[in-house]
Amino acid sequence: MNHDEAAKLLGPYRDGELDLATCVKLEEHLAGCPSCQQELAGEQELVGLIEAETPRFKPSPFLKTRIRAVLREEKSSSTAIPWWKRLSLGSTFSGLAGATAVLAILAVGFFSTQGIPELDREAVANHVRSLQVDHLMDVTSTDQHTVKPWFAGKLDYSPPVVDLVASGYPLVGGRLDVLDHRNVASIIYQRRKHYINLFIWPADTESLHGRLYNLDGYHALGWTKSGMNYLAVSELGEKELRDFVQMIQDQTAESRPGE
Amino acid sequence: MVEPYRDAGDNLSPADFEQVFLPHLDAAYNLARWLLRNDQDAEDAVQEAYIRAYKAFARFRGGEGKAWLMTILRNVCYTMIKKVPSHDTLEPFDEEIHQPLSESEMQEAFRQKANAETLHLALEKLPDEFREIIVLHDLEGLAYKEIAAVAGIPIGTVMSRLARARARLRTEIIAANAKEARS
Repeated sequence: MNHDEAAKLLGPYRDGELDLATCVKLEEHLAGCPSCQQELAGEQELVGLIEAETPRFKPSPFLKTRIRAVLREEKSSSTAIPWWKRLSLGSTFSGLAGATAVLAILAVGFFSTQGIPELDREAVANHVRSLQVDHLMDVTSTDQHTVKPWFAGKLDYSPPVVDLVASGYPLVGGRLDVLDHRNVASIIYQRRKHYINLFIWPADTESLHGRLYNLDGYHALGWTKSGMNYLAVSELGEKELRDFVQMIQDQTAESRPGE
Repeated sequence: MVEPYRDAGDNLSPADFEQVFLPHLDAAYNLARWLLRNDQDAEDAVQEAYIRAYKAFARFRGGEGKAWLMTILRNVCYTMIKKVPSHDTLEPFDEEIHQPLSESEMQEAFRQKANAETLHLALEKLPDEFREIIVLHDLEGLAYKEIAAVAGIPIGTVMSRLARARARLRTEIIAANAKEARS
């Protein structure tokens, strides 16, 4: 390989883009060419500088939430049935088409007559999805003093975060989610192999007044306290979920004045 | 890592889509922000790219989702840039600061360790195609082959364009440092 050929390949060589044979030939030339060695060192220095010093712009935390919400709207406008309503079949998303869509309409009709509010259905769908998509948590921590501050700057309110590890419901993390067109905090707790999504947002437009819905084996238990709406969703049995909710209510009462 | 995808026509949920594409959100935003130079435009472009990608998801055959998303995003960005005619990216070439320096002066100027601000300004001054290739390769780590697909150019062109872009960036850094030294 002559000098001119080698000089052109120094960049790709640095970037690991050359095939082995060319690499070997280039290295043979490089060994005896101080000018190419210097050139390569300069290239390394420059790219190192770019990598180390160039600012990488970060999107605002709301962008992800916004895109998710938009995708959901896209989906519901492109098909007659919003995707999350198909959950009422208890089926996964795969292979749902044609005849199953008809069943879905029937199922949706059925559940509508049960009078389950859209909010609770959406919360259940969020819960199911958070488990399916492997996107349960944005912040993973068993420490309430890590989870709570994580929401600062992402929400215009501060959700109460308590730890129930001693009672067998360890805190495992938190996530930003969307419920009824607004960003909400979801605090995630674990009970054995099950998870509980506890959605929390300010009760400025609607209060939940203590209610429990059962949707396809999932329970959604909502209440309002100290100006916050809470909606706990899980596949846990009703009794365990009620126990959990009782503990959350007790703890949020205790920690409130200290905050 | 990514499972092979189902045939077109199947019902693909936002969940499937999000799993493949949301992890590339930061990379997408970074490219859009560097090309459009404005937070709001960058967010709009990224959102638009995700919607387009979603609508075309049935045609996605698995593989590298990042390059696929970047291809769509890049088109969105260039469409936006064309809509904004006041986008004067190129400063007139300043003879005074670009006057020839000796080899040792150049080394000296470059070695005044450009800081983040210098690099930011130097990269901002590059023409779009140069800035874009540095962002895609040096910041986002796309391989030459992927960049060729994203920008719709042959690999040989990726190679030469990246080399010219780096050379130009080096010149800008040296010029900025030299200017600093003189002032």
